[in-house]
Amino acid sequence: MPGHSSAARARRVPKPRFLAALLVASTGLAAIAACQPKPLDPKAALIARGRDLFFNETFGGNGRTCGTCHRQEENLTLTPAFIATLPKDDPLFVAEFVPALAQNFENPRLMREFGLIKENLDGFDSLATRFTMRGIPHTLALGTSVQSPAGPRTGWSGDGAPADGSLRSFAVGAVIQHFTKTLDRVADVDFRLPTDEELDALEAFQLSLGRQADLQLPLPLKGVVAQRGQAIFMDNAVGKCNICHSNAGATTSLGGNNIGNTNFNTGVEDLPDQPARLTGELVPRDDGFRTPGDSTFNTPPLVEAADTGPFFHNNSVETIEGAVAFYSGPAFNRSPSGRFLASTDPKKVGIQLDATQTVQVAAFLRVINGLENIRQALADLEEVEGLGFFERARGRELLERANHETDDGIQVLAGGGLHPEAVTELVKARELTRRAAGSLFNRRGYTGDAKAAQARARARLIQEAP
Amino acid sequence: MITTTRRTRGMRGWLAGGTFIVTLLWGTSFAHGQKSTEQYIPIGKSPGLSGKYTSIGLLTAVDARTRAISVADSAGPKTLRITDTTRIWLDRSKLKKSNISGSFADLVKGRRVEVKYAAPDRRDVAEWVKVEVAQP
Repeated sequence: MPGHSSAARARRVPKPRFLAALLVASTGLAAIAACQPKPLDPKAALIARGRDLFFNETFGGNGRTCGTCHRQEENLTLTPAFIATLPKDDPLFVAEFVPALAQNFENPRLMREFGLIKENLDGFDSLATRFTMRGIPHTLALGTSVQSPAGPRTGWSGDGAPADGSLRSFAVGAVIQHFTKTLDRVADVDFRLPTDEELDALEAFQLSLGRQADLQLPLPLKGVVAQRGQAIFMDNAVGKCNICHSNAGATTSLGGNNIGNTNFNTGVEDLPDQPARLTGELVPRDDGFRTPGDSTFNTPPLVEAADTGPFFHNNSVETIEGAVAFYSGPAFNRSPSGRFLASTDPKKVGIQLDATQTVQVAAFLRVINGLENIRQALADLEEVEGLGFFERARGRELLERANHETDDGIQVLAGGGLHPEAVTELVKARELTRRAAGSLFNRRGYTGDAKAAQARARARLIQEAP
Repeated sequence: MITTTRRTRGMRGWLAGGTFIVTLLWGTSFAHGQKSTEQYIPIGKSPGLSGKYTSIGLLTAVDARTRAISVADSAGPKTLRITDTTRIWLDRSKLKKSNISGSFADLVKGRRVEVKYAAPDRRDVAEWVKVEVAQP
């Protein structure tokens, strides 16, 4: 009996252990399953595909991608300061190391000194003399800025896309202009054209970038300087900014009706001493929309302006204060748009802001840019919180973007001497976001703390809704 | 009184300006596609345009006097006018050569072409014509 009893016990003993092991294993599997990436919905999958194409696809060309000029870490544009950090063999510089592109493809000096890119908008028949030199526009808030009653307006002059002129077709023109291996520009030899599926994905990705809706001004701002800047911005008798940049966006509001994105001749081409021309390099006059051009350029959104300079289509003004000051100068006030504004003014004046007022409008633009940086950073941090444990790469990407936004927020506010308390909170948020990116087990904790710091920064800039 | 007059003048200015801009906008109610890079897109490959706002087919007639061409596309024959502003390009992509500008003389009966209408409601006028050059 004892023997039997012992044998029976021996048979029974493993059972609880086995059950415990089974429990641990199933709990572990459930935990792992919970940490796995969730399947993307079709729209998110299309955007993810578009992101991959935008930053990685060379379309069989010279090595450039859309992201070569529209850098994620540079607000989807490029500045000379950033260009100076790039290695010599970066595809941006193909004109410097690909013999077939050495002449008439880019002007390396103007690219490096002023961030200017060569565009043959009026045709490819006279490459040495017929071109424009333009800055790289960011691709943020496109969903709010491209549409007009006359159809989509893409690029600086509204005619950036071939075919149907849509944002979807934009990539086709960009590949032909910027990705080619030789100046022959032969499809399926020097590049391949994007497929319909790729164009859908690229469009979805671009439309997902940045703000998805316009602001509703006035905002309950806390700083008196930015408050005054907002008042001037919105006053159609003083700043008159809100007419063409309704709600600091890219659409025009006339008589209470929003008529979408609009092209204007504001006289930027008439500015004296344009930096690129000071070099002695050939910089032909840019005639804007259509061929031959009508000297108009389309209206960019202003919310994203302060951290995406230099300004205007030719990068002719370095600071946001300088860009605001342009509208009180003779180049603008003598332009068709300036004269139109003057014609609507009871005193027949265009825009005449003093230095204090100019800086106040710029301060307003800096603050709303800072608020947009915080909004985007918070959105990225929230997405990180929703990621599974194993979605490390996506998490790092989002945290990196959140920190770029935070850096920008710090720069736009500190650069204008605005809201030092908010800047302090943003510096904390940046450090916490860095910790989140480097943490294996406490990513969510640091992310939550970074969000809180961002929220405190925002509360310094604007009165929160009760 | 002075204020009222100024306001009235201001209102007139706004109205005139607004009318000017709206007229300008609606006068170009067809999305504007950039022409320079269009030249390098092979026949039938223009996104959003090819087959929708273009005719693709063989040239069945060319009238130099009236500057009209007829295209046999899949929906039937179409006749379009070539104007002074119509762009004509030679699509040499099948020869692996660069596409170049052409002229009315390149519109030869029997050649395959793609013709873009000037506007959705102006399908009798060509904005551009791509002429396929398949042999050296």
